[in-house]
Amino acid sequence: MADRAEPQRAPDKLAFLLALVPYLMDHDRVSVEKTAQHFGMAVQQIRDAVSLIGVSGIPGETATYQHGDLFDIDWDAFEERDEIVLTNRVAIDDSPRFSAREAAALIAGLQYLSALPEHADRDAVASLMTKLSRGASSEPSQVAVEARDSDDTLRLARASVQTGRQLEFDYVNGQGRSERRRIDPLRVESVDADWYLRGWCHLRGAVRTFRLDRITAPVLTSAAITHGSADLTLPDALFETSDDDLIVTVDIAPGAFTLIADYLPDGVRMAEHGDVLRTTVRVSHYDGLKRLVAGLPGLATVIGPPEARVAVAQWALAALARYES
Amino acid sequence: MASGNASTRTPVEERLFSLVLALLATDGGLTKAEILSTVQGYRQRYQHSGDNANLERQFERDKDDIRELGIPLETADDPGDTGNNQTLRYRIPRGAYDLPSDIRFSSEEITLLNLAGMVWREGSLSAQSRRAILKLRSLGVVSTEPLLGYAPRVRVRDASFEPLSTALEKRQVVRFAYLKPGQERATIRTVAPLALVQHQGRWHLFAAEVATGAEKTFLLRRIVSAITTAPDPYPVSQDGQAGRAMQGLENVWASHVARVEAAADSDASSRLSKRRDTVLEPSGVLSLHYSDEAIFADELAAFGPEVRVLEPETLIQAVTSRLRRIATDHG
Repeated sequence: MADRAEPQRAPDKLAFLLALVPYLMDHDRVSVEKTAQHFGMAVQQIRDAVSLIGVSGIPGETATYQHGDLFDIDWDAFEERDEIVLTNRVAIDDSPRFSAREAAALIAGLQYLSALPEHADRDAVASLMTKLSRGASSEPSQVAVEARDSDDTLRLARASVQTGRQLEFDYVNGQGRSERRRIDPLRVESVDADWYLRGWCHLRGAVRTFRLDRITAPVLTSAAITHGSADLTLPDALFETSDDDLIVTVDIAPGAFTLIADYLPDGVRMAEHGDVLRTTVRVSHYDGLKRLVAGLPGLATVIGPPEARVAVAQWALAALARYES
Repeated sequence: MASGNASTRTPVEERLFSLVLALLATDGGLTKAEILSTVQGYRQRYQHSGDNANLERQFERDKDDIRELGIPLETADDPGDTGNNQTLRYRIPRGAYDLPSDIRFSSEEITLLNLAGMVWREGSLSAQSRRAILKLRSLGVVSTEPLLGYAPRVRVRDASFEPLSTALEKRQVVRFAYLKPGQERATIRTVAPLALVQHQGRWHLFAAEVATGAEKTFLLRRIVSAITTAPDPYPVSQDGQAGRAMQGLENVWASHVARVEAAADSDASSRLSKRRDTVLEPSGVLSLHYSDEAIFADELAAFGPEVRVLEPETLIQAVTSRLRRIATDHG
């Protein structure tokens, strides 16, 4: 994060300047490097901001920006040692308040995360939300996200990392078969109401992603963890594809595209085909495909290969048969 | 055009920063002419005896940008000359600008807030939370690292989310076409937004119908047109509306119960039994809650022969008609 220099819009730069000044006021002498780390910005962004602050100020009584009406820094320390020392300040006394939408974004985020073990102290989280609300310049916008129920698996995953012991559980895989898995937990991820645990799977000898609602009977074992998050880089995509995957052509109604976008690899080719979008997806077996397509009735249709169409049709027909008896 | 060529122009952020500093430093406020003639970035382009229309428009846009950041830029009439645009005074009152001094955050709290900010990774909420985190960092507190890595994410994929969220903020009436399941044709709705809430992974707009005052909840994914907004603010209290909207959705959830048979050890059995508020009856039948019949029917159809709906009858019809459609489409 620290080395990523995204282009900033002028209002974002302003927001940063107003945040940086109070930080510098609280630090008598701080390196550009450390400041960049603290704010998660590139060192050059810090240098640019400090250079600007160093020549800024208020018009003052003479309306001519006299020396005492300007911020000043120790320019030698800045230019020679890459250190920031604020020697004069004007106008700004403190950090700015949150905007209504900024406070709302954090409050809704806290709400959404209330199932995490870190949020176990409900009173502390409630007081934190109140602080955000009081710290906003106007009443926070009305945005809310439903919380997930607190979860044993999450608590055990955290305990697993904390105690360095492997986690074991029953897992129904994508083909509907249950297996006992043993993992070193690495990361908890979520997309809206769906939660996942990623970890090093000792059964498969690889990093795997597990849906929390497919995990049953989790137990903390006595075996020591062998893979930590520092040893492994996790790919960003939740759903990985491999070379031996089956290739399937699917037609998707335009409005339904966002519903399946998560299952498509980045950069997937999409072509308009009459009223629909025709795309090619890779799947490791038809089982996951038939579940995905059956959940999008009238919106997604498998075009080929024929075996894939048969798999979907049979899935639906077998389900219908259950209502005929 | 105002004088001054591009190469000598003050960078935009320098002009905005100088404006904020000047307005923070003034107690009695500054008139527009004072600002334009003295503040860095304007004064270089100010014509003392001429037309400053361009510069005035620039000032209007800058004010919007500054307010957008939550900075309380206020205007006050000259008591002896109310309503006169030229004597109107601008200022940023310190008390409304400064984060109250009793609002400080511990390392643990900063950790929670950093995580809360990570939840938003797209759209304006992502930009808003990044700025909020920036303001928190300004306080200098270093977060404690959570033991387990987290990558939480709430999506805002619906195209209507951004315009609705802006309208909510500005208290503007919105108009859109809404298509309910089972209806042939979308109907036009004109409503005052009260809250945006995500429930069961789906975004809902809670709003008051302008014509009747009736409160309604709309699923964003069923909005089938662009959002148009009325320019003028609509006087409506938003206080506590997100909580009321969530409670309304919870009530709907609680009132809809389906009984479903799930095959033992199947994916359906594992996932449905962990669904919130699910009750496993002694017979093995799952009693499940849901908020929207059409969406729940899609979810159940995905489980194929792993589930059989026992009741209600309308849900059985919804699921079997979906299964027939899938079989036909792939036959």
